[in-house]
Amino acid sequence: MNRPLSAIAGGAAGMALLSVMLVMFEVETRSQIGLFDVIARFVGLPGQTALGFILFALAGIFAWPLLFISLENYLPLWPDPAVRGMGFAAAFWVGFIILGRGSLSGPILIMYGITTLLAHLAYGFTLGAVYARLSEESP
Amino acid sequence: MNPTVLFVAVLISLVTLALLRTTGSKRLLADGGYIEGVETTTREKPAGILRWITTVDHADIGLLYLILATVTGLWGGIDAMMMRTELVTPEATVWTAETYNALFTVHGTTMLFFFATPVFTGLANYFIPPLVGADDMAFPRVNAIAFWLLPPSLFLVRAGLITEVIAKVITPLGLPTRALFAIEPPAIGWTMYTPLSRAATNPEVDLFLLGLHLSGIATVLAASNIIVTIFTERDSSVNWANLDIFSWTMLTASGLIIFAFPMLGSAMIMLLLDRNFGTFFYSLEAGGAALWQHLFWFFGHPEVYILVLPAFGIVSYVLPKFTGRKLFGFKFVVYSTLAIGVLSFGVWAHHMFTTGMDPRLKASFMAVSLAIAVPSAVKTFNWITTIYNGKIRLTAPMIFCVGGISTFIVGGVTGVFLASIPIDLLLHDTYYVVGHFHLILVGIIVFAMFAASYFWYPILTGRMFNQRLARAHAWVSIVGTFLTFSPMLLLGMMGLPRRYAAYPAEFAPLQQVSTVGALILFAGVGMWLWNMIQSYRVGAVVTDADVWDLRETGQFSREWEWFERKLSRK
Repeated sequence: MNRPLSAIAGGAAGMALLSVMLVMFEVETRSQIGLFDVIARFVGLPGQTALGFILFALAGIFAWPLLFISLENYLPLWPDPAVRGMGFAAAFWVGFIILGRGSLSGPILIMYGITTLLAHLAYGFTLGAVYARLSEESP
Repeated sequence: MNPTVLFVAVLISLVTLALLRTTGSKRLLADGGYIEGVETTTREKPAGILRWITTVDHADIGLLYLILATVTGLWGGIDAMMMRTELVTPEATVWTAETYNALFTVHGTTMLFFFATPVFTGLANYFIPPLVGADDMAFPRVNAIAFWLLPPSLFLVRAGLITEVIAKVITPLGLPTRALFAIEPPAIGWTMYTPLSRAATNPEVDLFLLGLHLSGIATVLAASNIIVTIFTERDSSVNWANLDIFSWTMLTASGLIIFAFPMLGSAMIMLLLDRNFGTFFYSLEAGGAALWQHLFWFFGHPEVYILVLPAFGIVSYVLPKFTGRKLFGFKFVVYSTLAIGVLSFGVWAHHMFTTGMDPRLKASFMAVSLAIAVPSAVKTFNWITTIYNGKIRLTAPMIFCVGGISTFIVGGVTGVFLASIPIDLLLHDTYYVVGHFHLILVGIIVFAMFAASYFWYPILTGRMFNQRLARAHAWVSIVGTFLTFSPMLLLGMMGLPRRYAAYPAEFAPLQQVSTVGALILFAGVGMWLWNMIQSYRVGAVVTDADVWDLRETGQFSREWEWFERKLSRK
């Protein structure tokens, strides 16, 4: 498969996993973090969780994967795209926790950091691994 | 059409179909196997997902167990991290007290029934057949059923969360969700003490009991399979004298399961009847609270040995491989395993020293509880003497074994103190107890699992893991374990009771140290997960079965020979 399509497929797989993880974390943490409000704040639409999530998902499926392959030659970290994907997603995570934090404060930031980091790393790993598999770029 | 009629019609047609399928030329035996002599054909395993849902191969089922247990272990770990987050501040500011109650309930249940037990069943499934020279487990189909009962029981036990996920997903579609939201995570403690569990109005408690019952059935099926396999499927060259130590401990633990789990099942059925059908087994007037505690702990205390014996087995099995020596006093390690197996049924009431039981009864339980320290100490001294003067290689599995022994000593000795009635009266239901049993549960049970996962990784995946990262994980875990659970011993001695979301401010510093430790432990688990997944993708392919240089010391044991034969067939 050609590179952009492989990347988009990777983004879709990563986004599917990310969404499931976010829903699980949201329920598990009894909606105290409000992960979907965080996402809405992150994409600049505070208060509009549905629209915010759609934008977030579209970016995760199309924009970030395409950015990922266009930056491929410049990204550091190992030759394996899955590892590069995790580094790439971790960079987004930094933006995500800063922009989406809102008024969250205190100990809950521990769970906020852990859950969002895990979700982002899983997204990046899946993006890179699926991309590598489909585009047959050897890890 | 009336939905009941429709349901019955569907059920009847399914049963008819099933009967038509099975009344062919082949005759079924009671265990589901076919009568010998009938012509059979061998087929390749189907590809893809179908392979995994139809498999009766012991290795495949073993892997399924391990994967399920990884998921549940991470889930229970997230529960634990949520509790540690709540405990950073003295006030219950992060989660409500009710949520906190649900957290420690599901953390305990998930970890004991759906994480620790399946890990060892999975390892037993995978490795006991090659270790005893069998082709497969004695009852392959029972094996598959035993595994496939676990996902639905996990679903029932954790239904409160899962139904909420479903409700959240279908809410935008405008479907009714009230019933789904009514099922809330249970908050009755993993010990399910009556009268609370009897009176709780949350409907999830019933599902919780049913789910645990189902998991108990699965566990008993798996245990029977392990026992029969070890008794009847051994190769002629494997006798009781040279049976490996891991199989010995799995055999003993399985024996305990056969005696303990039906007790839990019956006790829970009575509780279900009390809750739903107006029976009075656990009514307060009839001393029901004490009855529940006796029944529960008659299961509950052997349960901890069901978990710890296989871990002892792994330590006893792996330790000699990296010291270049035989296990010191092998025979006595086996005897001590059997002794623990027997004694474990005579200590249950040490969980009830504060209940006002007859002091003479208490004294006898105290004596047996102290006595059980002897076989445990026999093991510990044998491990230390195995290391003594050995040619030690500090590989990741070895660091986990040695670290596990050190944490077990602290966890075990604190347990000896708790066995003493006067000390228990002071420390009962404090953080001291939590610290004590976590130093064993994490300190040796989880450590042994990590040791096994690294030691056997080449067999499980055909690839090698990142050894440096694994060693780092081992050291991080030892530090994390001591840092998380030692402060709990102090908190308990200072008198802080467990199971409260809020606590007086003077305990905050120690609680915070404990949370930092938990974060370190969690980071270690992340390193492990990364190593497992990434090495499976890109780890160096193993071509020589003697990954650990075991031939040199004559310890190239059966499972590695089996692996070598598999490699040579490729």
